[in-house]
Amino acid sequence: MSFSDATAAVSDELAARDDIIICDSVDKWYGDFQALKGVSATIKEREVVVVLGPSGSGKSTWIRCINRLEQHQSGRIIVDGVELTNDTRNIEKIRSEVGMVFQQFNLFPHLSVIDNISLAPLWVRKRPRAEAERLASDLLERVGIPEQAEKFPGQLSGGQQQRVAIARALAMEPRIMLFDEPTSALDPEMIKEVLDVMKELAVGGMTMMVVTHEMGFAREVADRVIFMESGEIVEAGTPEHFFTDPQEDRTKLFLSQIL
Amino acid sequence: MSSELEHLARGTAELIANADEREAEDAASRPDEPSLPPLQWLKVNLFSSVLNTALTIVFGLAGVLAYQRLLNWAFSHERNWDAVRVNMRALFTFTYPSSQYGRIWVTLGIVLTLAGLSLGLSRMVGQGVSLKRISIWCMAWGGAVIAGIVLVQPHAKRSADGEILLDADFEPVRESFGTAMADRGWWWLIGVLLLATGLAIWVILGDLKRRKTFVGAIPFTLGVLAFAVSTLWWFHWGNYGQQGDIIEPGRTVKDSAKLPWTAMWFVLTGAYLVGRRISATDRAASVRVVVNLSWLLAPFITFWVILRDPQIDYAHVMSTDLPMALGFMIGGGALLFFLTKPDLGEIGRILGVGLFGIAIFNWVAAFFGIYPMLQKARISFLLLALVALAAHNFAGERAQRLRFVYAWAAVMAILHYLVTMINAPSTVDAPDEFVGGFLVTVYIAVFTMIFSFPLGVLLALGRTSTLPIFRVLSTIYIETVRGVPFITILFFFSTFLNIFLPDGMEIEQLAAAGLGFALFSAAYLAENIRGGLQAVRRGQYEASDALGLSTVQRTGFIVLPQALRVSIPPLVGATISTFKETSLLAIIGIIDFLRVANSVIPGQTVFLGVRMEGLLFVCMIYWIGAYSMSKFSQRLERHLGVGEN
Repeated sequence: MSFSDATAAVSDELAARDDIIICDSVDKWYGDFQALKGVSATIKEREVVVVLGPSGSGKSTWIRCINRLEQHQSGRIIVDGVELTNDTRNIEKIRSEVGMVFQQFNLFPHLSVIDNISLAPLWVRKRPRAEAERLASDLLERVGIPEQAEKFPGQLSGGQQQRVAIARALAMEPRIMLFDEPTSALDPEMIKEVLDVMKELAVGGMTMMVVTHEMGFAREVADRVIFMESGEIVEAGTPEHFFTDPQEDRTKLFLSQIL
Repeated sequence: MSSELEHLARGTAELIANADEREAEDAASRPDEPSLPPLQWLKVNLFSSVLNTALTIVFGLAGVLAYQRLLNWAFSHERNWDAVRVNMRALFTFTYPSSQYGRIWVTLGIVLTLAGLSLGLSRMVGQGVSLKRISIWCMAWGGAVIAGIVLVQPHAKRSADGEILLDADFEPVRESFGTAMADRGWWWLIGVLLLATGLAIWVILGDLKRRKTFVGAIPFTLGVLAFAVSTLWWFHWGNYGQQGDIIEPGRTVKDSAKLPWTAMWFVLTGAYLVGRRISATDRAASVRVVVNLSWLLAPFITFWVILRDPQIDYAHVMSTDLPMALGFMIGGGALLFFLTKPDLGEIGRILGVGLFGIAIFNWVAAFFGIYPMLQKARISFLLLALVALAAHNFAGERAQRLRFVYAWAAVMAILHYLVTMINAPSTVDAPDEFVGGFLVTVYIAVFTMIFSFPLGVLLALGRTSTLPIFRVLSTIYIETVRGVPFITILFFFSTFLNIFLPDGMEIEQLAAAGLGFALFSAAYLAENIRGGLQAVRRGQYEASDALGLSTVQRTGFIVLPQALRVSIPPLVGATISTFKETSLLAIIGIIDFLRVANSVIPGQTVFLGVRMEGLLFVCMIYWIGAYSMSKFSQRLERHLGVGEN
C-alpha cells in the first residue's frame, strides 16, 4: 500500500462514503517558494482528518486553500461537488458550507459574543434577528459558555474565545469544519476545554480537517492522519497504523522528535 | 433605508452601545486612588528634591509674572472693552437685521433642543465630576481671583470729566495701593466666596465620602449655565448701542438678552429631561435614530429655510415645483418598485443603463446649452438613474421593496423642498451674505464635517481597494489636494468655480467656499481613516471571508467600525483644524468671526483702531469650541476603549 497518495481510503466503511473534499495535485507558490507540491487527497463525509507535520510543511496553507483564503495555482480542489475557481459565486457558496477556526481566534473585538456568532446567520443566511440570536445562544450552550453571551471577546480567556470562534463557525451550519492549529495559541490548561468541544463535534458526525500538534487528539479522534513535510503528503493512515508502524523515515524522525 | 444601510449604521451604533458595558465594568473594578493630604501632596509633587524645588520656584514665578502682565494688560485704562460688548451681535451674526432676530433664536432653539435630547438619550454617561474636583476647582479659581486683585497695579486716576490724569513724565497717576485694594470690593467678594465654597466642600462634604460622591457632568454644567444666565437678570452687563453705531441705542444687554437666553436654558434643560425620560423606555433606540437624522438635516433647514427666510412664489410652486417633486416621488418610486422585483433579470439592468445614459446626456446638453431644464430635475434624474442601477441589490419581498420605495420618496421630498427653498430669493435684508460673524464660522465648519466625512471614508476605501480604477482615482485625488495649499483651493472655488460650471448654474460664494473646505478636508480625513484601515488585522478579513460575508458587509460591519475607532483621535484633530481654518474665509472676502474682530470693529468710528480686545475675545471663543471638541473626543476614546487590545 502506497502512502504517497493519501486518497487511499483507510477502511472499507469509509471508502463506501461519498467524497466531500477532493484535492488533485494542488500546487501553491509564494513567489519562488513552493508551499504545496502536488497535494492529492480525498476526504470522505463525516471523516475526521488530522494533518500533522513540522512547521512550514504547508499544512496550514493546504487547509486555507480549501476555503480559498489562499489561492492554489494549479491542480483542482472540489468541495461538496463545487470546484474552486475564480468565480466569486462558487467561493461564496463554499465558504458558507465550510466553517473555519483560526489559531488566533480572530473574533471581532468590537462585537459582543452573541453578535459575533449571530452576525453571519443574520446577514449571510438572512435569518430574522430573533432566530439568529436564538441559534447563537443554543451554540453557546453547546460549547459550554452560555453565561458569556453579552461579554466582549477581550474579556474572555483564550480557551473561551476559541470556543466562541467554534460556535461562530458552527452558526453557519457548515458541512465541513477546518481547524487551523486551534490550540497552539492557548495556555496549556485551556487546551482541554477546546479539544473537548472538538471531540464532541467529531462524535456528532461533522466532517473535520484539523491541523494540530495535539497527538492525543489525533490518536483518539482521527479517522485518518496525514503527515506532510515540505509541501508534500509523506504518509497517511489510521492513527494506530501511523503512530505504531510508520513506514517512511521522515515520519519516524518527526514522531521521534515529538513523542 | 434598506436593510443593508440600516445595518451599516448599526455597526457603529452597536460599537458605541456595547462600549458602556465595558466602561461600567471598568469603573466597578477600579480601586480607589490613594489620596494624599494637601501638604504631603505638595511635598511629593513640587518639593521632592532640590532640583524639583528650584524648578517649582522658577516656573511658579514665571507663571505669576505672566499672569500679572496679562491682567495688567486686560484691565489697563487703555483697553476699550466696550468695543467687544457693544459689538456682540456683530461678532456673532454680523449684519443680520434686528427685526428678524427671532430667526436666530429659533435656530439656536432647534440646536439646543437636539443637543438636550442627544445628551439625555446618550448612553455615554461617565462617572461625572467628583466633589473633590469641584472643590479644588473652586479653590483654584478663588485663589486666582484673589491673587489677581493683589497683583494688578492700582488703577489710573481720572479727572472729574473722565480724563486720565498724567504726571510730569506723562505716566498716569495711580491710586495708592490701599485705595486700590479697597476699591476692588466686588472682586474680593467673588474670590473669597469661591475659596470658601471650595474649602467648605473639601472640609464638610468631601470628608464624608470624598471619592464616592459624584455630580453628573451634565446636571453640573446645566447648573453653571443657569447661574450664568441668571446674571443677566441681576447684573448690569452694560449698554450696547450707547457708543456703537450699528445697533439700536438705549437698550442694554440685560434688556435684550435676558429673556431669550433664559428661554434657551429652559429649552436645553427641558429637552435633556425629556431625553432622559425617553432613554428609560424601550423606544429609546428609534428616537435616537430620529434625533441623529435630525442633526443631519438641521444645518440645512436652519441655514436655508429659517435664517434665510425664502420668499416663495406659490404660483411657481403649484405649477412646477410640486408636480415635479411628486413626479419623481411617485413615478420614480413606481419604477424602483418594479426594478426591485426579484426575478426581473436583464430588463432591469437595461432600463437602469438607459436611464443613466439619459441622465448623463442631460448634463452634457446643459453644458452646451442645448435644451433647458431645471437643475434639480437633472440632479433628481441622475440620482434616480444611480439608484435604479443598484436596485437589483435590494430585491426582496414586498415589505422590503416598499421600504426601499418610501426611502426614495423621503429623499426626494427633502431634496426638492430644500432646492425650492434655496432657489427662492431671501427676504433677509443684509448688505452682503445674509449670514456673517460666528454664524458663518459654525455653518462652514458643520457643512464641511457633514460632507467631508463620508467622502473621506469613500476615498480611504477607494485607496485601499483592490479595484485599480478606484485606487488610482482616489490616490490621484488625495495626492493632488494634499499637494496644493489650501488657500489656493479656496481662491479657486470662490472666484473661478462659476466659470467651470454648466450654463445657467451658479453657486454662491459662501456655498463655493464650503465646497472647497469639504473637498479639501476630505483628502486629509481619507488619509487618517486609511491609517485606521491598515490597523485592522488581516485575521479580521480572513474571519469575515471564512464566514461568507460579502465585501460590503465585511467593510461595513467588521473593518470600518474598527478602523474608525482607531482613527478617532486624528479625526477629531482634523475637525478642530477645520473649525479654526474657517478663519481663512476672511481672506476671500467673507465676513466671518475673525474678520469682524480684526477689521469691522476697528473700522467703526467710535472704536477706530481698537483691535486687540476683539481678537482676544475671538481667541477665547475659538478656544472654548476647540477645547470642548477635544474633551469630547477624549471621552469618546475612553468610552470606545481606543488603544485597548
